[in-house]
Amino acid sequence: MRSTTAPLALAVALAVAGAALAGCSSTGTGSGEKTTTITFGNWRTEDAKLWEKDVIPAFEKAHPGIVVKYQATDTNDYNATIQSQVESGTGPDVMMCRPFDVNRSWIQKGYFSDLKGLKGIDGFSDTALAAWTGSDGDPYCVPIASVLAGFYYNKAIFQELGLQVPKTMDDFTAVLKKIKSSGKYTPLALGSADGWQLSYNVLDSIGPNYWNGEDGRLGLIDGSKKLTDPEFVDAVQAVADLKPYLPDGYSSLKYEDMMQLFTLGKAAILPDGSWDITAATQTGLDVGVFAPPVVKSGDQRYLQEMPDQGVGLNAKSKHAAAAKVFLQWLTTTDFQSVYVNKVPGFFSMGQASVSYDNKLAQAFADLKKGAKLTPRLQLDRLSAGTPPLDDDTWAALQTVLNDGVSAEDATTKLQTDLDSWYNPAS
Amino acid sequence: MIRTATRYRLLLLFVLPALAVYVLFSVYPLVSSVVLSLFSSKAGAEGFVGLGNYVHLFTDRYTSERFWNALLNNVEFFGIHLVVELPIGLLMAALLTSGSLRRARGVYRTLLFIPATLSVVIVGFLWRLIINPLWGFVKFPLLGDAHTALPTISLMSVWEYVGIPMIFLYTALIAVPNDVLEAARIDGARAWSLFWRIKFPLIAPQFALIVILTYIWTFNGFDIVYALNGSAPGPNYSTDILGTLFYRTFFGSSGQVADLDLGATIASVIFLIILITTAAYFAVLQRRIRSYQL
Repeated sequence: MRSTTAPLALAVALAVAGAALAGCSSTGTGSGEKTTTITFGNWRTEDAKLWEKDVIPAFEKAHPGIVVKYQATDTNDYNATIQSQVESGTGPDVMMCRPFDVNRSWIQKGYFSDLKGLKGIDGFSDTALAAWTGSDGDPYCVPIASVLAGFYYNKAIFQELGLQVPKTMDDFTAVLKKIKSSGKYTPLALGSADGWQLSYNVLDSIGPNYWNGEDGRLGLIDGSKKLTDPEFVDAVQAVADLKPYLPDGYSSLKYEDMMQLFTLGKAAILPDGSWDITAATQTGLDVGVFAPPVVKSGDQRYLQEMPDQGVGLNAKSKHAAAAKVFLQWLTTTDFQSVYVNKVPGFFSMGQASVSYDNKLAQAFADLKKGAKLTPRLQLDRLSAGTPPLDDDTWAALQTVLNDGVSAEDATTKLQTDLDSWYNPAS
Repeated sequence: MIRTATRYRLLLLFVLPALAVYVLFSVYPLVSSVVLSLFSSKAGAEGFVGLGNYVHLFTDRYTSERFWNALLNNVEFFGIHLVVELPIGLLMAALLTSGSLRRARGVYRTLLFIPATLSVVIVGFLWRLIINPLWGFVKFPLLGDAHTALPTISLMSVWEYVGIPMIFLYTALIAVPNDVLEAARIDGARAWSLFWRIKFPLIAPQFALIVILTYIWTFNGFDIVYALNGSAPGPNYSTDILGTLFYRTFFGSSGQVADLDLGATIASVIFLIILITTAAYFAVLQRRIRSYQL
């Protein structure tokens, strides 16, 4: 039984360590001047330097008397850590919120204070807030950053073959065909070994143009639409149609292989998320990005914007007033422009426009213009039971590409699995 | 002469430290995970549910499909180790002790054992590159095809761990006394019959032991599959084994909310499977294997 012993021991150790850390951090002892220390729990261990050197000092300068402590937990342990801390009363004053289902259960358990009426929170659109809204319709977290998905392309290859950025799916197929017939490059750097990649960066990227973004997504949630409806079947079929343009042996190629294929200049197009801006340009390629093509010319364009990070207020915080000042500051463009420029690939969710120093990040942000935004199809409510639509989609898309399962059969299986537990009325 | 009662008390004193550690880190987590599997923590249905989680595991259409799939894959994973790793290990051990290697014996023994000391992450990464259809030797997507993926991973694991049965049987073989072998040679036994008629029967108990150890290791297996394919091992769950199924259920994955009750249930079932088969194996088979007093 080694497999259960280790995780349990680890969980206990983590809980103890986490509680100890949190316990000693929220005591603000300023000698003479009165300062309040608030702790900020989050999963971005990799951004600790950026927050501690650039972001938090900017806040503290504008708000003397409040000190913010950055308290990061590795992303894989974050949910368990926050749960044990908040339930034992030692949680951080403000903490990062996971999008959708996890956060919904946290709101339900009373972890967060309602942020209705917080100055600046109405500067976000409903879609931006949707990932962190409670069942009462009130916002519980300030949206900080989202990620986008699109198609990276190698500009040199496009120039060499005289290709234009495709606007419609027909253009897209024509471009792919041309690259293939040139015989020099792989059209698409895409493998099917990592199922999540097929789902997040391909289906959820080109799909919204078929199922009309939020119409289709919310339709599935309220039960008025089924995955077997033509718009979803067509979207899965569009993924299946990419098969001839994939590299040889694509079924065992992983995410890293795709990235290498693209950055070595052997493939022309890479479907990927904005978080890979730095990785995709690491070899100095001239890289551009284009939006998922629309089905027919003149159609409304949709773009995947996935909420990634929000920040909420611990309902049991002893420094709620100071914490609210911090949250208010997070809604301002002062914060947003510092933050998103330090982490290329993450985007502000506010409605005020923010400019990006990174050229490719700006190009990604420009894709939002004229597009309706929509998060990934599977993650809101539809993955809160077993089998989760998320994992189920990964496997289904693999069978479509690897085993030639038809789009009809794949979507029928997904809908049957979903029906086995999901009740749209609730 | 110490009186018997005092002697037992003394014995208990000596055993106690080890027993305390064993109970704290092995028995307690085991019992608590079995207890966990008898309760539900789902909102609205908290409390004792008896065998409810087990019923769910075996009757729910999706959950049971994943479970049986993982179990069958695990049987295949063990089967490949059994028919490939153990015979090769035995062959290597026999060659090492045959005497024909002379001085090179130590070198071979070390070389063959080296993979077992490597990290699975490194082994998995190396093999993945070697058989990568883009950069490697094999154009066929071995890990991408649902039929070949699990055998491929199993053979990577065999390559890594073949040194373990080899060294295990090797130590058993060098313990076979020379006078027995000489007597057989004088009676006219050739190398083949010397091995199968004399040596193998003498190491049969150790061979049986390594069989059951391999069984336990493979049914507790997790690392190589996780290192290569993550916690939802594809393509389409074709490389999912009990360890990864447990991990995915207990800790959750990207879209899957962690389910501690069901995870504990799976852990308990894995434990029962190993316990029952191991006990049966020892009761039925190990008893029939004769060990010879030399």
